[in-house]
Amino acid sequence: MINLLILPILIPLVTATLLIIFSKSIAVQRVISLISTIGTFAASIVLILTVKNEGIQTVNLGSWQAPFGITLVSDMLSAVLVATSSLIVLCITLYSFRSIGTARERFYYYPIVQFLLVGVNGAFTTGDIFNLFVFFEVMLMSSYVLIVIGGTKIQLRESVKYILVNIISSALFVIAVGMLYSVVGSLNMAHISQRISEIGQLPILTVLAVLFLIVFGLKGAIFPLYFWLPGSYYAPPVPVLALFGSLLTKVGIYSIMRSYSLFFYGDQAFTHELLSILAIITVIVGCIGAIAYWDVKKIIIYNIIVAVGVLLFGFSVATEESYTGTIFYIIHDMIIKAALFLLIGIMIKITATSDLRQMGGLIKKYPLVGWTFLVACFALAGIPPLSGFVGKLLIVRSGFAEGQYIGSIIVLLSSLVVLFSVIKIFMNGFWRAPKDYPGEEKQPVQFLWVPAAILVLASVLYGTGAEVMYPIISQASDALVNPTIYIDAVLKE
Amino acid sequence: MSLLHLAIFSPFLMAILVPLFYKGLRKIHTGWFVLILPIVLFVYFLQFLPVTRDNGVFQRSFDWIPSLGISFTAYVDGLSLLFALLITGIGALVVLYSIFYLSKERESLHNFYVYLLMFMGAMLGVVLSDNLITLYMFWELTSISSFLLIAYWYDRDRSRYGALKSMLITVFGGLAMLGGFLLLSIMGDTFSVRELIAQADVLNNHPLFLFAMILILLGAFTKSAQFPFYIWLPDAMEAPTPVSAYLHSATMVKAGIYLVARLSAIFAFSEYWFWLVGGIGIFTLFWGSFNAVKQTDLKGILAFSTVSQLGLIMSLLGAGAIALHFEALDDNIYTAATIAAVFHLINHATFKGSLFMVVGIVDHETGTRDIRRLGGLMSFMPITFTIAIIGAFSMAGLPPFNGFLSKEMFFTGMLQLLSADIFNLETWGLLFPVLAWVGSVFTFIYSMILVFKTFTGKYQPEKLERKPHEAPFGMLISPIVLAALVVLFGLFPNLLSYSLIQPAAAAIMPSIVPAGEVLDVHVSHWHGFSTELFMTIGVVVLGILMYLTLNKWIRLYSIFPGKVTLNTLYDTGLYASERGSYNVTKAYMNGSIRTYLIYIFVFFIGILGFTLWNKDAFTVSTDNLAPIGVYEMVLSAVIIAGTMAILAAKSRLTSIIALGAVGYTVSLFFVIFRAPDLALTQLVIETVSVALFLLCFYHLPQLNRDQEGRRFKLGNLAVALGVGTIVTLMALSAHSTKRFESISEYYIANTYEEAAGKNMVNVILVDFRGFDTLFEISVLAIAALGIFGMIKLRLSKKGEGADE
Repeated sequence: MINLLILPILIPLVTATLLIIFSKSIAVQRVISLISTIGTFAASIVLILTVKNEGIQTVNLGSWQAPFGITLVSDMLSAVLVATSSLIVLCITLYSFRSIGTARERFYYYPIVQFLLVGVNGAFTTGDIFNLFVFFEVMLMSSYVLIVIGGTKIQLRESVKYILVNIISSALFVIAVGMLYSVVGSLNMAHISQRISEIGQLPILTVLAVLFLIVFGLKGAIFPLYFWLPGSYYAPPVPVLALFGSLLTKVGIYSIMRSYSLFFYGDQAFTHELLSILAIITVIVGCIGAIAYWDVKKIIIYNIIVAVGVLLFGFSVATEESYTGTIFYIIHDMIIKAALFLLIGIMIKITATSDLRQMGGLIKKYPLVGWTFLVACFALAGIPPLSGFVGKLLIVRSGFAEGQYIGSIIVLLSSLVVLFSVIKIFMNGFWRAPKDYPGEEKQPVQFLWVPAAILVLASVLYGTGAEVMYPIISQASDALVNPTIYIDAVLKE
Repeated sequence: MSLLHLAIFSPFLMAILVPLFYKGLRKIHTGWFVLILPIVLFVYFLQFLPVTRDNGVFQRSFDWIPSLGISFTAYVDGLSLLFALLITGIGALVVLYSIFYLSKERESLHNFYVYLLMFMGAMLGVVLSDNLITLYMFWELTSISSFLLIAYWYDRDRSRYGALKSMLITVFGGLAMLGGFLLLSIMGDTFSVRELIAQADVLNNHPLFLFAMILILLGAFTKSAQFPFYIWLPDAMEAPTPVSAYLHSATMVKAGIYLVARLSAIFAFSEYWFWLVGGIGIFTLFWGSFNAVKQTDLKGILAFSTVSQLGLIMSLLGAGAIALHFEALDDNIYTAATIAAVFHLINHATFKGSLFMVVGIVDHETGTRDIRRLGGLMSFMPITFTIAIIGAFSMAGLPPFNGFLSKEMFFTGMLQLLSADIFNLETWGLLFPVLAWVGSVFTFIYSMILVFKTFTGKYQPEKLERKPHEAPFGMLISPIVLAALVVLFGLFPNLLSYSLIQPAAAAIMPSIVPAGEVLDVHVSHWHGFSTELFMTIGVVVLGILMYLTLNKWIRLYSIFPGKVTLNTLYDTGLYASERGSYNVTKAYMNGSIRTYLIYIFVFFIGILGFTLWNKDAFTVSTDNLAPIGVYEMVLSAVIIAGTMAILAAKSRLTSIIALGAVGYTVSLFFVIFRAPDLALTQLVIETVSVALFLLCFYHLPQLNRDQEGRRFKLGNLAVALGVGTIVTLMALSAHSTKRFESISEYYIANTYEEAAGKNMVNVILVDFRGFDTLFEISVLAIAALGIFGMIKLRLSKKGEGADE
């Protein structure tokens, strides 16, 4: 199949449209959502295998030859990210059945989730910088809706901030694309890369690199552009929080990786040094936030920021090993963050609070949830053989090898802080003397546990089966190391 | 996968079965099923004795992540076999003991045995892995299982406190150790200990060598509770006593010792290694014993005693490193220290294990471990008392028990340092025997306290919860076996000399034991009237005197202010970091979007301005520009005026109208630039948005501009001007650096022929880049759905289906 790579975008798009029609019947919406997301996931797995066997896949839309039309490009990096995102949306959709509430389900929750997946998968797949902006818009508009739908006071208040920051960042995105177009005269990413390689990284391109860093950094929540995140993510219900926490920031990070490896690799002494410094500060402020709070949502939200810093640090080291480590880690982090959010969602359902000080003793009645959570904690902290380990190992090792001692040590020790922050949840929420919570019997704990457990299981397999994943991840880092692979695949004629 | 791997994994497999036993066969204590495994494993490992006796090795490997050089190579040599036997042997005794210690009616046995088995497997993995990464994996797993075991009674505050403390400290060390391992792998390009040892010479001269050593020693010192990291061990005593006996005295805390021993072959040539391992070891010995004396909880005494004894072994390993600086094996007296370390390791496991079990029995039968409430138990529990005497006297270093032998050898090792003429030992070497001796005096004292305060003296029934009696026989089996070993090894030490001690010591120092040869190990009670003997006599005499006058000088301990301790440091440090983090985060996360935007824009101005300046990126080229006409100037002036008016406006209505003026002027620009379709689009959008704004803002409250101070306004002005300036500078530079012909030429050429359209903009929108348009339409659809939902659905009012 030639146009395989468009399926992970097209299936959710068609599904979303269908779901709008069936908005009155929740049962139908659920069934269609589930089946089609399974389809998206299956398509993305086939895509991975195809890319593995046949190399980078491209489609010139409308058959307008690259670089003149819009080209979709699936290299291994985008294929694995698409697959991971689809899996996460699948699990969160399942979780939403018994969690998001019928009111939101009736008001287009499922179609919007599908639209979000369109935006995310599209951003990972597109090979056109302006089209990337369009998919950002799809993703952001869906996220605006998801954050506000339900209309509670906190949602309305926080969505204003969220929208404001993101509109500013979108405006900057257009400005950045315009300026880049002025210099290189193209929008096709492979073509831009080729042209930049001809002229070298002019000073204005370094300035644009920083501008793009600000644009994507606002999405990716790096220091000092993350301030909007903790408050905004706190507002929506847990399934939405899980979607945001696992997917949105990673799109920002992916875009930094893509643009810095394709376009802005010519002045690494400046740009990558800047990345490295910002990354380390991001890790530190994330750690500080993660141990500051006794609110389970806040704790995990700040952990998003820690992970963003770790990823950015790994990328900034810019060796083959560090890229491989970063890609290992980004997939791990998407899965485990989603799992953790879903698990604390169960805790919140049972106890009807997100304040850790009012929880306690859950392990007595809910041992499965407790142990799943504990495994997720250790995976998050990068304890081998769980999923966080290999990525962190490669990132730290490459950091050491490149003489980035301070950064590597900070990344290493951030694991301790991360572990402390989530173990705190385990010790205070699951341990301590059991309590009774009003209405806990009515909560669908068993049902909600299933999608969370699927994700944790995926994380465990991903870690222990690192050898199986290694060739795939290694292939994914190829195009980062060597942009000509990407260029040749797109502009082959 | 081999049988050896299966042996390492078997505890994990067993752990999976435990809940089944627990649920399915409630009548039988789960421990009985678990017990089978360590016995089988012990017997299995015994069969390697002939292999290691001649310093042979046994190795089986399977690949885990070969792409990263991570394999699971199980490796049996003298050192790992010694540990494997300790782990399974003591493990079997502890499980047996626990069957009688933990009630099958009241306790969650399935949890207990799952954790215990996890630990057993992990610990076997640590000592049998050749690959540093698998070693690290098992290492962290021991920390985790220890965490779970300490918090076994998880509803108690002290248990959770101890569990967290031990985990934070040991995982911290573990991560540092991982860092060290990664540095080693960078230096030697392998994760295999064997292969790293083979290139020890190269590693020794590598600039990262010292960095790696310090990181790895952090791992070893935290795990083996060396100063100043020992503080977690006393709190770990909240675990059930069988756990304390097993993890926190006999096995897990020796993982650090194992690591130091294992990596001696890489690091020990370095002077820093000697001073760090030997120096911290000997100080820990002194500090632990000194603090043990003031404890009133029996397990507290044993905890500090363990700290102290671990320091003893550590210092011996440090002293043994001296041997590497002397070539000849025959008269290399410094190997004695390493041999003593191995011997004492075994002895400590036996006597300390039995003492823990004794304390467990006392606790179990009287309900307390506080020596101020205990006393006179000798007549109630004579067998326990006998075991306690044997264990404590061995610990104190009295003949004929095994502790005496290794204590003498320890003195020998320390005294020999006086004769070494390297590393400034001429000056500082004296500290070792002095601290060793002082530490031994305190060791003697707390050993006496342990036995005599509990079993002799006045019986105080009013302070006990229940009437004490001898423990059930089953509970006594394990301590009796251990006490018997204390006596046996004391009387016939050479049972161990060439079966266990020599192979282990040779594995620690492979470079000075030539192939086919063995170290000379001979342990005997009588060496003539040597300095060591006089030191022991001194210990005993002074120890007895000080024990008898204990009440007179114990108050000296209270001279030290209670607040200046490492524990206070940990507690306040943890509290302060949580509190401090909260305050810091709260300070900048004030919830105001204006503040956040100021942060973001200030960064925007600063970093882009810096880059522009640093890269000298600003260029202006006036080539290829159209002349500026009057219309453009007028329109620009209108735009500027409109913008200013927005800022100055006192009411929202005025702002919106000014904003509309700016928008319409922009569309006039499009007209001038001959882009009528863009101008039309812009006009429509402006009209609609101004109308909508007017409609919505009518409902909003009045603006309160008066409340904004002058500084606030000036700050905003600076930020706004900054952002504007930066964007302008960038735009000018980008415009002036057109280096390529734009792809738009292609559109101009092909719009009519290929796409069959006459309006290029339209063709771009619906054909060349129709994909963009499709999704822009989607964006509108999403927005429509969202607005509909936002207006119609208000969960906070109805309270329906809310999910917070």
